[in-house]
Amino acid sequence: MKSKKGLFNPDSIQEIRNETKRWEKEVYPREKERLEVFETLSGIPIEAIYTPEDTAKMDYLRDLGFPGEEPFIRGVHPTMYRGRTWTQRQLAGYGPPEETNKRYKFLLKQGANGINGVFDYPTLRGYDSTDPEAYADAGRGGVAIDTIEDMRILLDGIPIDQVSSSMVTCQPIGNISVQSMYFANAEAHSIPFNKLTGTSQNDFLMETVVAIAPEVLPPKASFKLSCDAIEYCTKYVPRWNPVSFAGYNYREAGCTAIQEVAFVIANAIACSEELIRRGLDVDRFASRLSFFFSGHNDFFEEIAKYRAARRTWYRVMRERFGAKDPRSLALRFHVQTAGVALTAQQPLNNIARAAYHALSAVLGGAQSVHIDAYDEALCTPTELSSLTALRTQQVLQLETRVTHTIDPLGGSYFVESLTNQLEEKIVALLNEIEGMGGIVRAVEKGWIHKAISSEAYEYQKAIESGEMPIVGVNCYRIEDEKLPIELFQVPETLEIQRAKLERIKKERSSTNVQKASDAILRCCEKDGNLMEVVVEGVKAYVTEGEVTKVLKRYYGIWNPPLF
Amino acid sequence: MVEKRKIKVVISKVGLDGHDRGAKVVSSLLKEAGMEVVYLGMYQMPEDIIRSAIDEDADVIGVSYLSGEHLVFTPKIVNEMKKHGLDDVLFIAGGVIPPEDIPSMKEMGVNKIFVAGSLTDPLVEYIRSNVRGK
Repeated sequence: MKSKKGLFNPDSIQEIRNETKRWEKEVYPREKERLEVFETLSGIPIEAIYTPEDTAKMDYLRDLGFPGEEPFIRGVHPTMYRGRTWTQRQLAGYGPPEETNKRYKFLLKQGANGINGVFDYPTLRGYDSTDPEAYADAGRGGVAIDTIEDMRILLDGIPIDQVSSSMVTCQPIGNISVQSMYFANAEAHSIPFNKLTGTSQNDFLMETVVAIAPEVLPPKASFKLSCDAIEYCTKYVPRWNPVSFAGYNYREAGCTAIQEVAFVIANAIACSEELIRRGLDVDRFASRLSFFFSGHNDFFEEIAKYRAARRTWYRVMRERFGAKDPRSLALRFHVQTAGVALTAQQPLNNIARAAYHALSAVLGGAQSVHIDAYDEALCTPTELSSLTALRTQQVLQLETRVTHTIDPLGGSYFVESLTNQLEEKIVALLNEIEGMGGIVRAVEKGWIHKAISSEAYEYQKAIESGEMPIVGVNCYRIEDEKLPIELFQVPETLEIQRAKLERIKKERSSTNVQKASDAILRCCEKDGNLMEVVVEGVKAYVTEGEVTKVLKRYYGIWNPPLF
Repeated sequence: MVEKRKIKVVISKVGLDGHDRGAKVVSSLLKEAGMEVVYLGMYQMPEDIIRSAIDEDADVIGVSYLSGEHLVFTPKIVNEMKKHGLDDVLFIAGGVIPPEDIPSMKEMGVNKIFVAGSLTDPLVEYIRSNVRGK
């Protein structure tokens, strides 16, 4: 094992301690403090100043090390942004696939280097656009996908063997069909699966906690679907990240930075245990588990959060699972700037907010970043607002030179101290979840739901009381503000999707559809890997809604707690 | 003497959008302001909301929107309210609603709209001053 020396000479630390006390007593009180309490957004007290004493117990080689090496806190790659900068992955999706395809091509042409596809509510929740529950939501919040034909249209003209795709499929029930359509479409274009790179979200908490669907699958079934997709990709699509644990969305729903990291890692632990139970070696799948975090308002806490997440994951993988492959030990993550931090008031202010959020992600070592558009508290982003968000990334990447050294805040007394404190709290929360029987059990009990909604309530209370200033909302308001921006109109979707579905249902072989549906049901009965049969099913033009119906028929439905 | 009945508010999401943070937070804040709140959760359709409002004898219906579905659901909710004679029930909408849609929503019959970033005091004040005299 590596050395266990502290960072500083003990005599110097004693001297610094004495001097700090003197300064705190004699110098600091000469001026008054502006606030009664200084703390991070998650409630960790912030001192006036941090000194070497705050990091004195650290062992450089054990606790920090070097980029691309254990414990990966300084970065997951040896060269980080000096070698390759983060992927600019701007989220896009609205209306029918014909329309979203145009936006993808626009963003790629403007310099984005990956696709980040978001799907509409019916698609995420496993419904066809024409379902009676879905009629008002087709094309809203994302692009509508019903059959493999929609997937072909969505990706038309985009070289998916060269461009990586992030598929924000959110919920396992939607993911199982959408992901299958992506793979089946690649096969139809003779693209070998080992050429496919990308990520699908596929997080069971998205289904059962964050954006629960009506008649949602029980947590165990949703968790199984998530693991089926991971197992499938581990075996057949080796460069695909089959899950992106969606801490971002937990955070948007209300939780703190500490909960955000603890919940995703608890989720990843549960998936790892299940995959090991299915007979896979940890080093076969762990390097493909990926993470998705929110870039929120507290600049330094966010930076410390990303760093703490990396070290926590490293320790979990090394100590609990005995992983050996360095890629299993390195936590890779995407960041989206916090939508919940955007304001509908004075929307152009959001450009500044999102730029700070993105800067913290980059100082925290993110692998890819999406910057929110300034109009997102008002509507789906327009072409202008999407472009401005992309340009914000490019300014950050090309003009500021923050990319020129690795982990520039490593060694900051404050950031290291905050990183250590966050890690400690994350580990404590992980142990608490473990004590409950793990994340699936914590969801079944409604514990996670309560934890998230009570934090959302506290957050709003802090805004209402003025304790947490939000510019344009509880201070510096403009009454009767005239909005200087154009608003996006979602293009007609339902009728376009209806026409395609009607035609496809006439043209497809009903015998093959029946066979495929039967195969899905049989696979449920023998607890097989569902993705293997759904990939075949979608080739026969089974619709997403039809897949969902079979799954719900077999697994039943769950009534999640409201609060 | 009859004790004055608490103001009763039914709060809901509508359709398939799952962004329920606002609806839940508003439910808690109105409870704290002394109102009785029935939170229906997500994925209610207009008919479900109206049925609950009738069953609960609600004074106020609050619906939270996010992604443009307000233009589809608002007329349906208003029609259902008319059909069942809920003329003296306040209908308040909240969430991500583009300002340019506000006049037409008011025309449809929404009594008041609170967009994202609104604070609670004006909402409580509005409900107290406009709720039907009981």
